[in-house]
Amino acid sequence: MSVEYNPKYMQHFYNPVWESFEDGYWEGIKQRKLVFQKCGECETFSHPPRVMCPNCKAQNWVWVESSGKGRVYSWTVLRQEVHPAFRVPFEVVLIEMDNEEGVRIVSNMVDCNPDEIDFDMPVELCFKEVTEEWALPFFKKVE
Amino acid sequence: MTLRNKACVVGIGSTEFTRNAGRSEIHLAVDAITAACDDAGLEINQIDGMSSYGTAGIYAAEMAPDIDVARSMGIPNLKYMGQTPWGGGASCGTVAHAAMAVSSGVANYVVCYRSLKPASGTVRYGRPTAIPAEYRYSYYMPFGFASPTSWVAMFAKRWMHETGATREQLGQVALVQRENALRNPRAMFYGRPLTIEEYMFSPVASDPFTLHDTCLENDGSVALIVTTPERAMELKQKPAFVSGVGWGTSYDAHSMTSYYRKNIGLPECIEAGKDVFKMAQMTPKDIDVAQLYDAFTATVPMQLEAYGFCEYGEGGAFCEGGDRIRLGGELPVNTSGGQLSEAYIHGMNLIAEGVRQIRGTSTSQVDNAKNVLVTGGLGVPTSALILTKGD
Ligand SMILES: [Zn+2]
Repeated sequence: MSVEYNPKYMQHFYNPVWESFEDGYWEGIKQRKLVFQKCGECETFSHPPRVMCPNCKAQNWVWVESSGKGRVYSWTVLRQEVHPAFRVPFEVVLIEMDNEEGVRIVSNMVDCNPDEIDFDMPVELCFKEVTEEWALPFFKKVE
Repeated sequence: MTLRNKACVVGIGSTEFTRNAGRSEIHLAVDAITAACDDAGLEINQIDGMSSYGTAGIYAAEMAPDIDVARSMGIPNLKYMGQTPWGGGASCGTVAHAAMAVSSGVANYVVCYRSLKPASGTVRYGRPTAIPAEYRYSYYMPFGFASPTSWVAMFAKRWMHETGATREQLGQVALVQRENALRNPRAMFYGRPLTIEEYMFSPVASDPFTLHDTCLENDGSVALIVTTPERAMELKQKPAFVSGVGWGTSYDAHSMTSYYRKNIGLPECIEAGKDVFKMAQMTPKDIDVAQLYDAFTATVPMQLEAYGFCEYGEGGAFCEGGDRIRLGGELPVNTSGGQLSEAYIHGMNLIAEGVRQIRGTSTSQVDNAKNVLVTGGLGVPTSALILTKGD
C-alpha cells in the first residue's frame, strides 16, 4: 500500500519550498525526473542538494538523472495519525540508491504491504501524481 | 585555558508537571525561574543573563522569549542573552553558554530555562498543520513523514537491525525509568506502575516505537541558575560544578533527519562525548549516574554506545533485564523517571536531576554520586555536560 491522501488537506502539504541551490532537483521533479547533484570535478554525489561539493569544495554541480534503482536501508510504518491528510497505516522508506554512491532518499512505497518490506529489498522509482500540479518520486518492489 | 570548574549550577526550579497548566509559556517560565531563585537564595533582580531555547524551525511559534520573561519579572537589565538552536539538542548547551558568560565576566547570574505546553497549548509536537515554509521539510512532509516519533524510528529500526537489539531490551529502559518515577512525587507517572506485558502489547505509533517508547506530552517549565564558584560560596546550595561541556553536529547534520551519512548512528553524540570527557578529564568509567536524553527508549542504549559506556552493538545487551541501568546497578540512568516518566521539558528536567544527584537530594539517590553525565537531544545537533562536586 502507499500512503493514502485526503485531498481536502493536500494544499497544506504540497507547496514545497526550496533554496536557490536546489532548483535543479525540483525542476527535475516537475518533469518527473529524479535527479541528484554530481560534482563536475570529483564526481561526488549529494542529496539533499548543497551549495558546495563537500569533498573538493567546487561549486560545479551537474544534475544527473538517477537510474531509479535502490534498496531499502530503513523504514517505519506509521500507525498513529499525525495529520488527517495521511491515512494510517502507511510506511515511509529510506532508500539507498544503487548507482549513485552515498545517496539516500526518503519516500513511500507503492503497491506494497508494510509486511513485505525488508532491509536491502530491491526497489525502483515510479512517479505518481499527488495533486494537479505535483507528482512525487515513489518506489515499488522489483519483481 | 579551560572552562572546567569555572561555573556552577546553584539553583534549580520547576513548575508542576501537568496535562494543563492553565497559563502561558511565559508565565510558566516566570514561575520556574522564581523557584530557582528561591532555591539558590538569589534576588530576582540579581539575574543579569538568560540562556534559553525553543524548537527547531518547525515549531517556532512556541517559545518564552527572554525579554518577555525578564519584563514580566521586572529584571532591570540583561547583560547576556543566548539562544541555543535545534530543540532538545540545546538543553546542555544552554548551561555551556551560561558557563562561558559567567566565567568570562560578561554576566554574573545567568538563568537557563525551557518552558513548554504541548499538552494544552496550540503547538503540539508531531502534529503539524501544514508543510512549514522551510526548505528542509519539503523532502519529508509530502510523504506523511511529519513527526519526531517517525523520524527517530527510522534511525532506531536500522540500529536494531544492525545490532540485534530487541523490543524487550527497549522495554527495560521504559520499566527502569518508571521505577524511578514511582519514587518521585513530581513525576507525571508517579503512582502508575508499568509491566513488561503492558509495554509489549502497547499500540505501535511508528515501529519500532509504541506509546511506552515515547516521551510524555505535558506542560511545564524548568530553570537553572549558573554563576561562578566564588559567587556560589555566598548562596544557599551546595554547588554542582560544570566540569565539562561538549557540543557536536558531526558531518552532514540535519534536524532529526540525518539519514545521509555512511552510518546513520549518532556521530553528533560521539563528538560531544569526546569533548565533554576531555574537558572534565574523565572517562565513562568515572561517571556514577547518567541522565541520557530520552525522547524515546532506544536513544538510551544508542547513547550508551555513542558516549563510550559500551561498544557499538552492545547497548541493547547493556539494558537487558534492566539491572545495569537501575538504581544500585553499574550505571543508573534517568533517576527522576526522565522524559519517559517524569516529564518532557526538552531535557531541562534531566539537568535539574543531575544537580540533585550532586546535592544528594534525588528521590532515587545514587550513593555518593560524584560525577554525573547529562546529555541533550539527538538526531539533532547535540550537547552534553558533566556535573561534579568540584575538586
Ligand atoms: Zn567535488
